[in-house]
Amino acid sequence: MMKQWGVLFKKEWTESARNFKWLWLPVVFILLGVMQPLTSYYFADIIENFGGLPEGAVLDIPPPSGAEVLAGTLGQFSQIGFLVLVLAFMGTVAGEKSHGTHLMVLVKPVSYFNYLTAKWVHILLISLSSFVIGFAGAVYYTALLIETVPVNNVLSGGAVYALWITFFMTLVLCLSALIKSTAIVAFGSLGTALLMSVLSMYTPDLMKWSPGMLSSHSQMLFFSGNAGDGFWVSVGMTFILITGIMILTIYLFNKKEVAGHTE
Amino acid sequence: MDELTQALQENWALIAPVLILQAILMVVALIDCFKHDKTNGPQWIWVLVIVFINIIGPILYFVFGRRND
Repeated sequence: MMKQWGVLFKKEWTESARNFKWLWLPVVFILLGVMQPLTSYYFADIIENFGGLPEGAVLDIPPPSGAEVLAGTLGQFSQIGFLVLVLAFMGTVAGEKSHGTHLMVLVKPVSYFNYLTAKWVHILLISLSSFVIGFAGAVYYTALLIETVPVNNVLSGGAVYALWITFFMTLVLCLSALIKSTAIVAFGSLGTALLMSVLSMYTPDLMKWSPGMLSSHSQMLFFSGNAGDGFWVSVGMTFILITGIMILTIYLFNKKEVAGHTE
Repeated sequence: MDELTQALQENWALIAPVLILQAILMVVALIDCFKHDKTNGPQWIWVLVIVFINIIGPILYFVFGRRND
């Protein structure tokens, strides 16, 4: 059983090496992470040169704090970073299905549990290590150009955001396993993440449990070292939801595939 | 303009990694594009996209331009 899992995992691994996912995803995250401190640092210079200010106008923008820059970096990750992750992984199962390659795997007695969890671990490894390396770049540049942020704040905030990415990638895998069209997978997962963040921004009291709160918790950790109200509720709920979504996905995928074969 | 170029020169060591990473992305995408005979859509358009659209061009190629067979 364990051996089969290893074979499936290795297959994912060679495939993503061939697609250069191991190269371009980390590179994109480093670029995203490094851009935010750089543009914050050069902001005044850039505005003076290209902003079309009248001659002699003095621009006095207070430089942002280190925590602000890191929070801004996470904002970039949530927008462009998530989009890139979805584009990279929307076809994880759906793409194989449209090519029929998953049949080559699944006609052999392969358990659906192994098939999906191997993909899940593989996706998480790539996306979390891309995040870690990109975030490390952001922290390094922020320390050099702006100011150092306390290590504890950085680590705890980063860890909480990593949990939010984990939740998001679980959602991507789930939709990819259950829906044929990669476009719907992309819009569905991005839409859900956006809806969750927006809802938790405007009705934080109702959404205390929501994983959508995680990114604002991580930003608060940067600023003060303390997460907001209901932090543990949303962390616990996120773990429960991740497990629940995985179990449900494996169950539904199993049902669908078995029905598909007997037809 | 002088101030900005001056400011950039002072921190050349910080800007260089960004340019290097962009170059790596571009070169790998180009090599892969030339190595494969078939791409989704005309190959010469992908070459233009990779070379002239910064960062996003190579990503677009990796996601949509490659054929996985």
